[in-house]
Amino acid sequence: MAFWAKGRSVSAAASFDLTVKTYAVFEAVSLALDGKTVLDGISLALSERRVGIVGLNGSGKSSLARLLNGLRLPTNGKVRLFGADTVSVAAQLPRHVGFVFQNPDHQAIFPTVEEEIAFGLTQIGHDRTSARAEAVGFLRRHRCEFLADKPIATLSEGQKQLVCILAVLVMQPCILVLDEPMTSLDGLAAKRILQKLQSLDQTLIMVSHDLSALTGFDRILWLEDGRIRMDGVPGDVLPAYAADLDRRAAAEVWEGDGL
Amino acid sequence: MTDRSLVQIAFYAALIAALGLLPQFAIPFLAGVPITAQTLGVMLAGVMLGPVRGALAVLLFLFLVAVGAPLLAGGRGGLWVFASPSVGFLIGWPLGAFAAGLIMRATRRFKVLPSAALAALVGGIGVVYLFGIPGISIMTGLALTEAAIGSAIYLPGDLIKVAITAVVAETVARGLPQALLSRA
Amino acid sequence: MIGRQMTGSSWLHRLPAPVKLLLLVAGGAMIFPVTDRSLLLVCLAAVLSLYASLRVEGLRQLLYLRPLLWLLVFFLGLHGLAGTWETGLSAVLRLLVMVLAANLVSVTTRMDDMINAIRPVFAPLRWIGLSPQKPALAISLVIRFAPVLLFVYGSLSDAYRARTGRATNWRLIAPLALQAVRMSENVAEALSARGGSRGLARCGKDTPQTGRALRLSTNEKG
Repeated sequence: MAFWAKGRSVSAAASFDLTVKTYAVFEAVSLALDGKTVLDGISLALSERRVGIVGLNGSGKSSLARLLNGLRLPTNGKVRLFGADTVSVAAQLPRHVGFVFQNPDHQAIFPTVEEEIAFGLTQIGHDRTSARAEAVGFLRRHRCEFLADKPIATLSEGQKQLVCILAVLVMQPCILVLDEPMTSLDGLAAKRILQKLQSLDQTLIMVSHDLSALTGFDRILWLEDGRIRMDGVPGDVLPAYAADLDRRAAAEVWEGDGL
Repeated sequence: MTDRSLVQIAFYAALIAALGLLPQFAIPFLAGVPITAQTLGVMLAGVMLGPVRGALAVLLFLFLVAVGAPLLAGGRGGLWVFASPSVGFLIGWPLGAFAAGLIMRATRRFKVLPSAALAALVGGIGVVYLFGIPGISIMTGLALTEAAIGSAIYLPGDLIKVAITAVVAETVARGLPQALLSRA
Repeated sequence: MIGRQMTGSSWLHRLPAPVKLLLLVAGGAMIFPVTDRSLLLVCLAAVLSLYASLRVEGLRQLLYLRPLLWLLVFFLGLHGLAGTWETGLSAVLRLLVMVLAANLVSVTTRMDDMINAIRPVFAPLRWIGLSPQKPALAISLVIRFAPVLLFVYGSLSDAYRARTGRATNWRLIAPLALQAVRMSENVAEALSARGGSRGLARCGKDTPQTGRALRLSTNEKG
């Protein structure tokens, strides 16, 4: 028994039920950061395969996303993932809920692509040698074998983000949460990443400022000031959100927007 | 140790490395003795991260130097630097960072600027020279006083670095107060 | 990041790293009390012939130690001023032998082998409840982010120049330190999002592949 596994609750992992259709449930969730309320009384049940989250900066989108994989724990209320309270299973959550950040430079930890991928494998219990071999095989299956030996610093922005996504996918999560994954990319790279994401079997929950990326999604949440302003299919929510942006822009008032 | 501490330690070790590699700071001072920003990184590690994390950041950096990463100013690295006359200074670095961190913590009621200056002066010069000068003496056979006179050529540069450390700490504390982890 | 390691497969390369390190430590301990100049000269000749056994490439390694030469001349000068010229000469000879021997081990040992050889030093970390895996992760992080911080410094100095027209300035160290802190917060969060430095339940017993990283990154960039 590795000593660092000590104190880790083994039974907590058992309380996940990965077969439930409604994978995430928020029960009157509030979150305060540094004394400031960023989410306020959110209640939700998510069962869709493709969920988009839109809203202005500071509306609570990123915090909502972070609640899904235990990076943040609710101040009040409960978040349940696969039936388990995230407070009690936070340490196991990254195994089932992958998280991709906006800036790949802040996310890739290792000097080379192969190690970055292998890290995810050692995280889920592979030993060093098998992780190395398995990482190369994984890259090959995703037709990215050519990246294996490359130092991450030399990749294009799109390739970096792709590596970050693969590094999370290699841990075989059921859900992939993405916080503005295309914001730092050019148009072509963004399209490619979106295609890649759409092709995945995993459930996707994506925060995005690019509304066109979310048109094919099953459900859109529109957040405003820490609450859900609107919740529905893209055909309803996205035009309403876009109209609201136009209305605010036309008002040309910078104060009071929290900017 | 939390993930956060681990990453902070690694980032300060990387910062010490980056500062040593900046050619801009190699001011030709007093007949070509190189003045680099590297010891500035050592002082900053203690002042910013506090005693334990600061010392660990310096140790991590020195470990990489020992295994051959050319991270010391001028692209030096490898085991030989630990067999050179400067070895005492290298030993003094983590201890100096530790002392600087302790002083930051002990003077937390004071303003950042004087507190950081004191910490960098005592830790980054006092403690580092306390090990560095005997190191020279042992390695070169010079008497302690001669070794001290020989080391004095670094003093003006190091005093400048103390001032810079204090200003940097004060600036960082204004820009992002929680970044001053030595007082958090 | 370039290491000074020589590529090659000479007998010194093939010698296991722990053996080389032990020989180095033992040799250093033996030579340290020696003051006899002729004996030290013999040792120096022996070390130099080891370099010569690596042929031209080996002798070229000596050039990298030129900065040290000036330092030794400086110390010799101090000895001269103090009238202890002879002690100084012995000390300088001894230093040369030790430095050259240590450097020889460094240039003929790959960084990952060196780390593996030194790894047992981390074992005591277990006693204070730390994972020996953490230093390996920390090493990877330094190698990954030292160039990133240099890049950040470059961007800062560009921005500074664009507004002031002046060359770079030590003032940029403060924003560099700030950026480093901010970036470290993001990296720490991303690390936690993937299970953190402790790994997830049923963690493997081995460490991440740090050694390989070092080798690759040393081969990188000419």
